[in-house]
Amino acid sequence: MSQVEFVNITIDGTTVQVPAGEMVIESARRVGIEIPHFCYHPRLTMEAGANCRMCLVEVSMPRKNPDGTLALARMPKPQTSCSLPAAEGMVIETETPMIVEARKGMLEFLLINHPLDCPICDRGGECPLQNNTMHYGAATTRFVEEKRHPPKAYPLSKYVIFDRERCIHCARCTRFASDISGDAQLDFLKRGADMEVSSFRDTEFTSLYSGNVIEVCPVGALLSRPYRFTARPWDLSTQKSICTECSNGCNIKLDHRAGKLLRVNARLNEEVNEEWTCDQGKFGMDYASHEKRLRRPLIRDGAVFREVSWDEALTHVATALSEAGPAAAFLGGARSSNEDLFVLRRLFQEVLGSQNMDHRLGPAYPSAADVRAALGSQSPTPIAAYERMTTIIVFGCDLAVELPILYLRVRKAAVRRGAKVIECQPSSYRERPHANKVTDFAHSSIWYEPGQETAIAEALAHVMTGGRDPGASDGASDAAASLPNAVAEANVEFGSAIPRLDDGPIAIIIGRDVWSRSLSVPATLKAAADKMGTPCVINTYACSVNEQGARELGILPDGSVQASAPGLNADQILHGLKDGTVKALWVSGVDIASQFHDPELVTQSLEQAPFVVVTALDLNRTATMADVVLPLASVAEYDGTYTSMERRVQRFHQAFDAGVDVREEWRIAANVGMRLGVDMPYASWRDIFGAIATSERAFAECTPDNLGDGGRLLADRNNEDSR
Amino acid sequence: MNPIRLTRDVLTPIGKGLGVTISHLGKMLGTRGRAKFTVEYPEERREQFPRTRWRHYLTRYENGLEKCIGCSLCAGACPARCIYVEAADNTDHARFSPGERYAARYEINMLRCVFCGYCQEACPTGAIVLRKEFELADYDRKDFLYTKQMLLEPIPIRPRQVRASDEAPKAAPRSEAA
Repeated sequence: MSQVEFVNITIDGTTVQVPAGEMVIESARRVGIEIPHFCYHPRLTMEAGANCRMCLVEVSMPRKNPDGTLALARMPKPQTSCSLPAAEGMVIETETPMIVEARKGMLEFLLINHPLDCPICDRGGECPLQNNTMHYGAATTRFVEEKRHPPKAYPLSKYVIFDRERCIHCARCTRFASDISGDAQLDFLKRGADMEVSSFRDTEFTSLYSGNVIEVCPVGALLSRPYRFTARPWDLSTQKSICTECSNGCNIKLDHRAGKLLRVNARLNEEVNEEWTCDQGKFGMDYASHEKRLRRPLIRDGAVFREVSWDEALTHVATALSEAGPAAAFLGGARSSNEDLFVLRRLFQEVLGSQNMDHRLGPAYPSAADVRAALGSQSPTPIAAYERMTTIIVFGCDLAVELPILYLRVRKAAVRRGAKVIECQPSSYRERPHANKVTDFAHSSIWYEPGQETAIAEALAHVMTGGRDPGASDGASDAAASLPNAVAEANVEFGSAIPRLDDGPIAIIIGRDVWSRSLSVPATLKAAADKMGTPCVINTYACSVNEQGARELGILPDGSVQASAPGLNADQILHGLKDGTVKALWVSGVDIASQFHDPELVTQSLEQAPFVVVTALDLNRTATMADVVLPLASVAEYDGTYTSMERRVQRFHQAFDAGVDVREEWRIAANVGMRLGVDMPYASWRDIFGAIATSERAFAECTPDNLGDGGRLLADRNNEDSR
Repeated sequence: MNPIRLTRDVLTPIGKGLGVTISHLGKMLGTRGRAKFTVEYPEERREQFPRTRWRHYLTRYENGLEKCIGCSLCAGACPARCIYVEAADNTDHARFSPGERYAARYEINMLRCVFCGYCQEACPTGAIVLRKEFELADYDRKDFLYTKQMLLEPIPIRPRQVRASDEAPKAAPRSEAA
């Protein structure tokens, strides 16, 4: 790292030392002076920036007089502080009469074509344009002519609505689309007075990150369609939470009103999602307030369900589970909190004596022991660490769909930090309809047909371990010529542009489709990585919100060290239900009837099962086949923690009361346990989290109070082993 | 007690006070009962001061459209937090107010309201007004939750005007070229 050079500048009489080249608008923030702005955004590039002209300041620079003394020379015109790099001796003034006048003038220009329909605008109340006009603008308008009237409320996509009238052409959305999400689906059309933001020929704005432009827009031009007209900012209460739509663990804010979740916004966490969300998370959390939510426990009564009290339902479940004993089984849990899983595991292991637990619902997941054998106990690469990677290999993973926020980080690493991204993808991914593909910024793309994964992995391993002509120069090499026969036979375009792989840390992301079928790819790459001199981590990331938590807490047939013999995995449990070796099944928070790879097997098993209890938010297909259905509290309705794919334990908070008779899963499990005579005296998530910290080595350093807002990475597994 | 102090502190004030009463009685008797200082409520009602603020109304434009656009500024201004507004989109099939947005739900909890009039002050369209109807007592708590239907003025009924389309259709001017 090069030494950062500091310069002394004076802002409104305060002298401050700032890194050379830092934009003055940022330096002013350090001394507590807020310079009003619209287009400037610290995460967006300055190309096409400095166009709102709101952040003007007066600048004086030291100049040498002929006699050698220094004198301050004032620049004749005000400068935009968002594009002005700090330099030694610079003197900035932000509140001179000229600046006050200039801001007033700029706002007058901006408002000429702004409709000022603030009372009906969803941004009203949290709108930078509104706020700045109140602070710095004129009280009345002098513009009496007719304003521009482009169509209002034009739907750009399923989620985003565009009001051209309100746009002030700050280019934040277009820069987000080109700099951050990379799909560049929004840009300016036409010039001058006709300039407008648009997608190409009004095609749909299909970016998987479209929701972010709603948040970066400094006016009410880009708005959320689901949230449209549902509330004003002062109606809303906000609570900190964690997104449940994938395993990235994005920090979010839940905006709710009258016990209903209305909106999801990103919450800043530099280590995870920075300030972005993906559309899955931003618009996919509405299940929490869905009208189909279950309200009361249900017990099957012949062909119909009967609403019963919790007491009756829990007694029924306890009786059935105790009858089954060790023949009871548990499926799911990838969407439950750490606390839920811990109490459920206690219920099954200690109370029922069963190890038949599985959170994975795939065709042939490798057992935990095999994974440990193949991959060792490396900790996965944290999201923020990707910015320090020299090479990132994406193997069979549609990142933007599977791990959307990791996609943004990998893209940032490639575009801003110069990391080389190599992707090896099934050729069908080329046809995927979405706009956010690794190919756009990949150094090289290798396409294979299903079945060729292992050959590709071997070829990659070959390159990694130096199977190249040492004389070949950087970049182009004749790697293809020296590839193993398998690849040559597979006739894959391996390309001649595989870069050098041994010049810095490598992170390899292996898609779920690949590692969940066979461990040959990760194992091959791992073996190659071990031979290399450079640090290289093979990541088989979890995909569901708390799948990593389920791994850590051992919701696996062989997850427990204490258990003498491994239990049954998901497939065996379902077959066991059919042939009667499994007598009771608890399905948690997952609709196995629709999501299991073999729905036919699930249907048959559930029909023949002696007893099935389903904990769910709504009456999904699995629940309709259950004997008892217990309504769960959604993430907005209770407190707890999730473990994200990078092993970050993060806290989510209760936003509102469910208003209906739902319960947390840990409370259900503890109640069942108590009915079976085992005391589980948990009063809140804190008690359980304390118990987890005591009994699980990985959680040893965590307490309910040291998670903070940004969460905490679990202890490194390598350290664990050496202990 | 000292007779001087007794006269000064007790008898004189009593005499003055009684004097006022007697003089008013005299005036009353002088007008032979024509001057009245009470009203026979509820048969009669006293006239309210011009700026009296009592019951809320949601007003309409002359064409019958609601003035309320569901902006919730009244709810934001309300110090008692007694107004609840939910907005929705106007469509071409169901248009309630001019523009895009109207109030789908508008409720005021009259038990909480302090009749400060801030809602009226905050309203950008002059939709909510506090009028002089002061008899707001009721028997049941839930009857104090005034819904939009209760608050909304009735649609103004006006004598039907002859519209252009009602007149006999005129023949279109014929083009010369044809």
